Amino acid sequence: MPALEVNGQPREAPDTRRNLLSYLRFDLGLTGTKYGCGEGLCGVCTVLVDGQPLRSCMTTVGAVAGGAITTIEGLATDGELHPVQQAFVDEQAMQCGYCIPGFIMSATALLNREAQPSSAQVREALAEHMCRCGTYQRIQRAVERAAAMASDPA
Amino acid sequence: MNETLAIDEGLSIVSDAAIGFPAPPNTYRSVAYANTEPGSQKATWLTVRPDGSPVAYAGKVEYGQGIRSGLALEVAEELCVPLETVEVVLSDTDRVPWDMGTFGSQSTSRVGLQLRKAAATARQRLLELAADRLDLPVDQLACREGRVVSQGDGSRSVSYADLLADQRLVHDLDDEAPLHQPGEFTLMGKPAPRIDAVARVTGQAQFSQDIMLPGMLFAAVLRPPTYHAKLLDIDTSIAELLPGVVQVVHDGDLVAMLAETDEQAERALDLVEARWEETPGQPSQWDMPDLLLSSAHDEFVTQEAGSLEDGFRAADSVLETRYYVPFVSNAPMEPRASVAQWEDGRLTVWAGTQRPFGIRAELAQRFEIDEGLVRVIAPEVGGGFGAKSPYRPAHEAAQLAKLAGRPVRVAYSRAEEMAWSTFRPAALIDVKSGFKADGTIVAWESKGYHAGDRPFLGRRGSDTPYAVPNVRVATFTSDSPLRSGSYRSLGGAANHFARESHMDEIAVAVGLDPVELRLRNLTHARFRGVLEAAAQRFGWSAATAPSQRGVGVALGLDVGSYVAMCLQLDIQGTEVTVQRVAAALDCGLTVNPDGAANQVEGSIVMGLGTALYEAIEFQGGRVLNNGFARYRVPRITNAPEIEVALVGDPDTPSTGAGEPGIVPVAAAVANAVFDLTGQRIRELPIQRHLG
Repeated sequence: MPALEVNGQPREAPDTRRNLLSYLRFDLGLTGTKYGCGEGLCGVCTVLVDGQPLRSCMTTVGAVAGGAITTIEGLATDGELHPVQQAFVDEQAMQCGYCIPGFIMSATALLNREAQPSSAQVREALAEHMCRCGTYQRIQRAVERAAAMASDPA
Repeated sequence: MNETLAIDEGLSIVSDAAIGFPAPPNTYRSVAYANTEPGSQKATWLTVRPDGSPVAYAGKVEYGQGIRSGLALEVAEELCVPLETVEVVLSDTDRVPWDMGTFGSQSTSRVGLQLRKAAATARQRLLELAADRLDLPVDQLACREGRVVSQGDGSRSVSYADLLADQRLVHDLDDEAPLHQPGEFTLMGKPAPRIDAVARVTGQAQFSQDIMLPGMLFAAVLRPPTYHAKLLDIDTSIAELLPGVVQVVHDGDLVAMLAETDEQAERALDLVEARWEETPGQPSQWDMPDLLLSSAHDEFVTQEAGSLEDGFRAADSVLETRYYVPFVSNAPMEPRASVAQWEDGRLTVWAGTQRPFGIRAELAQRFEIDEGLVRVIAPEVGGGFGAKSPYRPAHEAAQLAKLAGRPVRVAYSRAEEMAWSTFRPAALIDVKSGFKADGTIVAWESKGYHAGDRPFLGRRGSDTPYAVPNVRVATFTSDSPLRSGSYRSLGGAANHFARESHMDEIAVAVGLDPVELRLRNLTHARFRGVLEAAAQRFGWSAATAPSQRGVGVALGLDVGSYVAMCLQLDIQGTEVTVQRVAAALDCGLTVNPDGAANQVEGSIVMGLGTALYEAIEFQGGRVLNNGFARYRVPRITNAPEIEVALVGDPDTPSTGAGEPGIVPVAAAVANAVFDLTGQRIRELPIQRHLG
């Protein structure tokens, strides 16, 4: 049985072939990670595995065995929103909100590897995500705000 | 009958259960509302609980438009309480007043106004209670932050909580209760954050895809390979042997695998052998323009004045052009999903539909039970843009749950969502205009052919707002090989694409700047207002096209709101990049300017997809691009910088903000493409015609 860590908690998955997205959503009840296309094209299922963004809909549990997985539920600490989450609230970067967890996970990974990304780097990091409500301008601003918050923690 | 909810203490404001779209009384009369007196046809719209906090009830659905927050803002404004104390209960048929559905940008204009009146009624009642308590006349009292205070002596006050402790008051909504006027607003009209934002960034917001019940089975439903295919025979014997498969259902047209996990159900479905009789000769995308014309029927005249004959005779020039828009997919990020549960003959269904009461009526009819035995709950909805009024998985989940004796979940895959949803109708629109050499239009004839059996889809926005003395606008209903349905602004986007493209063609013909040509033919103050505001924000400078700058303009009207936009784009090869958009919207009083701006921004991005890339490809009863690999929608790399000016007069009643932003987009893009290249593209999507 593959062992992994989900949001800091050790877990044992029932089956190496279990789809990671289904495992997170239906077996662990972590439904903040969404299903959108099942083909890795829309980004709503994005989670972090050892800090790297990954499309969980295209991945089996076995493929991430031994890894540390972070989902949207694992970002906030002690009830305090993660700076990227806070920035999405501050910029009102959402409409229906279905895609937002995926965007936040990729943006978090981006800021972890590049604290002060250029606008082009933000767009590139989020280019494989879709927001059908079209809130891209706000998402862009939110990620830039989160980067600014990190450099100038007021 | 429905469970009685515990919100019966405090002060409740009740009124007729159905407002807005006229509803036949019988659709709600037979059903008792859990939140109102038994036998009454009145529903509770607002309750101020004994702790002084209000809870508002509305049949609307939150699917991205921010209506929960807009309604909370209106209640907080009229009741004079902090915004964060307001709870809004939406879209649960057991808990909220009857509602036709969330479409047509009616939520703010109708339900918002109703809740303002309910809150104002409650405020008046609280003032009266306080007058007794403080022994002061009502006109010396004011409401502030959840308290009634003496205007003369600030130390004399009483909280709503104190006034309502141990009370159970029911009051009829007073249509004449004095509403706050724009000059008095403390909350409305100012940008406000959404009250449900945190839930959306933490993963706590629950969509129908996220509903799970104890003992729930996952279903995988057999879909026909092509539209109208009939099942001849089926072998499920191997599927039944798979571990985890609990039941294989074959009930009428419904074939489904029920299993303990989603993957077990899907694997079982893969092992089903089915033979189908397909329907030959179904039209393809290539047949559409001809089919729209040859099958046209039911002419409907949306606008008629003067004499076309006289108008064309008086014209210096006559111009005839034809425009075409293909079928497109709403493609919301959340594919439909539904969970159903039967308990003691009562059915509860979670379904992310725009029409929970409509689905309730359908389910009651399907299972031949009283509507009061059916509860439909629409959780957060992950986008819909009009498509999620019909909701097949709700029916399937209910039927399967009944057969299985356990809760059942039916969730569409992306391919199912795109093939079995509805589509924005394809349309072909012929425009013939006659105009003077100075650009004054003297005759306008338009014929629109819209696919689908719901003719109102094509009528929206077909009339011209320009001051043309001789005009005739007609729309026709044409055959639709795909299931036509609702979409943001319905046929408004197609009709505006045709009209606003043609306006630019007239401008070119007479050598006028396109903004000037429009102003020359516009007398309506609100149209002129949005056009001038958009041009000014954009920094429009007059020129005749093609000026090689890549700038375009268009304007429109939808759901009572006026909109105009200017944009600039560049083209590399066949790739169009819209760099900048300046839009102006006049939707009267804007309740939450940031919410309205968000809607316009989103409408523009969505409009860019339909303008540039989107088209459903189909052949032989099959959608060929039912996934994002072959159906391109705008990404962040395609998103322009958008500026939205809200120019409505706060003394004018609110009209919709969710849809108007899309109607001018395709024409503004086509006009800008012409301005850059000199190539006039009259068929969407534009990028297929470049290079």
